[in-house]
Amino acid sequence: MMDLFRLVGTGGVIAYRALFNWATPAMFVGTLLVGPLFQLLFFAYLGRQLQVADDRFYIVGNAVLAASLACVFGGTMAVSNERRFGTLGHVLLSPRSRTAVFLGRVLPYAGNGLLIAVSTLTAASLLLGLRIPLSALPGLLLILAVAALSCGFFGLALGAVGLRLRDVWLVSNVAVALLLLLTGVNVPATDLPTGMRVAGQLLPITHAAEAARRLAAGDSLAVAAIPLAAEAAVALAYALLAATLLKLFEAESRRHASLDTL
Amino acid sequence: MSEIAIEAAGLRRTYRSRIGWFRPQRREVEAVRGVDLTVGNGELFGLLGPNGAGKTTTIKLLNTLLIPTAGTARICGYDVVRQTREVRRRIGYVFGGDRGLYDRLSARDNLRYFAELYGVPGREQKRRIAELLELVRLDGREHERVEGYSRGMRQRLHIARGLLHRPRVLFLDEPSIGVDPVAARELRQTVADLAAAGTTVLLTTHYMAEADELCDRIAVIAGGLIQALGTPAELRHHADGRRVLEVEAYGVNDARLSAIHTLPGVRQAGLEVVGAAQVLTVQSDAGIDVQADVLRELAGVRLGRVTARQPTLEDAYVAIVNRVEQRSAAEAVPV
Amino acid sequence: MRTLRLIAVGALLHAKHQSRSSLEITIALILPVVQATLAVHLFRAGAEPDRLLEAAVGAGLMGIWSSVLFGSGGAIQNQRWLGMLEMIMLAPRPPALVILPITLATALTGTYAMVATLLWGRLLHGIPLTFADPLAFAVAVPGCIIGLGMFGLLLASTFVLMRNANALTNTLEYPIWLVSGMLVPITVLPGWTGPIAAVLPTTWGARAVREAATGSGPVWPSLGVCLAISLGCLVLGALMMTHVERRARAAATLALA
Repeated sequence: MMDLFRLVGTGGVIAYRALFNWATPAMFVGTLLVGPLFQLLFFAYLGRQLQVADDRFYIVGNAVLAASLACVFGGTMAVSNERRFGTLGHVLLSPRSRTAVFLGRVLPYAGNGLLIAVSTLTAASLLLGLRIPLSALPGLLLILAVAALSCGFFGLALGAVGLRLRDVWLVSNVAVALLLLLTGVNVPATDLPTGMRVAGQLLPITHAAEAARRLAAGDSLAVAAIPLAAEAAVALAYALLAATLLKLFEAESRRHASLDTL
Repeated sequence: MSEIAIEAAGLRRTYRSRIGWFRPQRREVEAVRGVDLTVGNGELFGLLGPNGAGKTTTIKLLNTLLIPTAGTARICGYDVVRQTREVRRRIGYVFGGDRGLYDRLSARDNLRYFAELYGVPGREQKRRIAELLELVRLDGREHERVEGYSRGMRQRLHIARGLLHRPRVLFLDEPSIGVDPVAARELRQTVADLAAAGTTVLLTTHYMAEADELCDRIAVIAGGLIQALGTPAELRHHADGRRVLEVEAYGVNDARLSAIHTLPGVRQAGLEVVGAAQVLTVQSDAGIDVQADVLRELAGVRLGRVTARQPTLEDAYVAIVNRVEQRSAAEAVPV
Repeated sequence: MRTLRLIAVGALLHAKHQSRSSLEITIALILPVVQATLAVHLFRAGAEPDRLLEAAVGAGLMGIWSSVLFGSGGAIQNQRWLGMLEMIMLAPRPPALVILPITLATALTGTYAMVATLLWGRLLHGIPLTFADPLAFAVAVPGCIIGLGMFGLLLASTFVLMRNANALTNTLEYPIWLVSGMLVPITVLPGWTGPIAAVLPTTWGARAVREAATGSGPVWPSLGVCLAISLGCLVLGALMMTHVERRARAAATLALA
């Protein structure tokens, strides 16, 4: 069991460094820290202009969403870069549990996403003058962590789907854009058509953003616990989906001896 | 009109590179260390050398893509650093490999685009493009996207592109790399035709036969310097006083090869794999017959045909390049 | 005349080349439609439910900016990756004339976004495409595209000098949308953003297009200011391009290696 933990932990960190394409300081700061902050400011000011919702709605929601870029792309990269660098076959043939290997890959990206979400929330609150009750902070951190993890597993599932497609980046680009639209982070869910609202319920971020908003509004963690549990369920579902897809494709490629073309 | 198409004096080029963003390290590499050469109008001039010898750098210094660290060069009398545009009007540049074309455009669109860039007059473009497509035998397939072309077709399209503006001087940088033998022969014919029509051609290659067949004069470049220059016949003299022994063998190892190296009279020994067999080439002083000694060193190895012959251009080239390598190896030994 | 033809043929062929990348085209079509959907629901949720045409046009403009930002900002790097940079810089032309058709092409392919958002608005949301001044709209959109294409040359030459241009590109999408008021003019922004907005050609281009679509003001002055600023950017960009080319020849950075 300990051994499995080590594989998930250190194995994940090494792969993270080898495969994370944004691993230069400027790229990290620019794309992952400043980018989401500007995105948040854009929607916050748009919301003020159109009088859709208050600052708290936009700041908290977009801070949760800020984790998604790094996590979704990260999760996708965890699978697809193995293919690009031609190492997928080796990973799949390793005697360790593949599911553990890949799920472990997600952890560093999720940690990264958490860091981004926290820094975006801090910077935006300072810039736009939002006060969050001190007592809400531990709960918020928990919510952001769950959101990051669920985005990571979502990304991993997309990466697995990407193995069957010619261009995996198309999928992740579109997915990130859809998160923007459907999670109710920028348009209040009540204002979305039913179909879009239901789709949002099945995506990561939606429930976490809801939970975070409740906490930031001064509600207790007990109130926020219901949407938080929903987010955790979404995370689990995507983790299972990713694991199933990877297992399926692995078995299939072994049967067809097509590891190289995988 | 000047009689000289290309002239270079004391050309040098140093590359600086920086490695790492955290505590960067600087490195300097001297790729070209003082090249002098003169190529006459209409001449077909070959630049021959091993990888990393400075061939491509020399070409890029002459065709304005790089600014020399020191020295000067003129094309048709125009300075490559100060009169860049005059030079560019008069030169064409074609390099080997499959890059350098817009893959998602057709051959025709590629040519149209470059015709505009190179200032081919609008009235003339259509005719010129049709003419060139015919010259490189791509007519009939000019509307297909380049991404579906074979290596040889791309290479021919490259040549058509390089000729659009009727350059007086054409730089061909390893044009036959990766091209199949039939296509390579056609390519040589095209190049020969161009030279016959008066275009000055500077060709780099490491195919000896290509250089021997095509070039009026050849410069052998190694270690960033021209080591020998002359007609193919003149260059062969560098192997004068030698004879060559070729042995077909199966299973010669490094130990045996180095033993052969140390035999008296042996100047040079190399091993090449041809199909299932190895071909051992031994250059020796003409006065000494090393055949018996060599065969003794090969005792126990299955052998095929054994031939003794006069040195070819390739042997001369090997002799020149090896001289440089031995010298630089000697320099590298700490005293 | 020959220069104009080079620019026109070059821009069209580059646009053709860019349009044949299925990944880029799909992203260029889908992302603006997502933005437009977002905009429509925001407008509906907010105090402006009847300004849906603005949402569609604004999202289209945002798409044009994204195309120019990523396409032009990375124009030189892209050509280098394609292995084309040496080949095109070798042409006997000023370097600015070689790169300008490429940046114009990125603005041109940005019109896919505008077409996509307008069609989507019409077909899915039944937004009537009744422009206040159709003729002015038909002039303002191409005018805005040419302006942004010229601005693109400045981006191309500036970004190539920066070692971390990619990182900068990724951050500049939202701020320009916001400050230029591409989707909707933002009057609630802090005052110091005003002067920045005033010197950005994107502000004036977006304004001209919106004015033509909604009749909220005279189109020609805005379009004129947009083109004047863009022309200034073009001159600045051309000067920098010459410097960039010289530097690249000295530093040996034209080739991929």
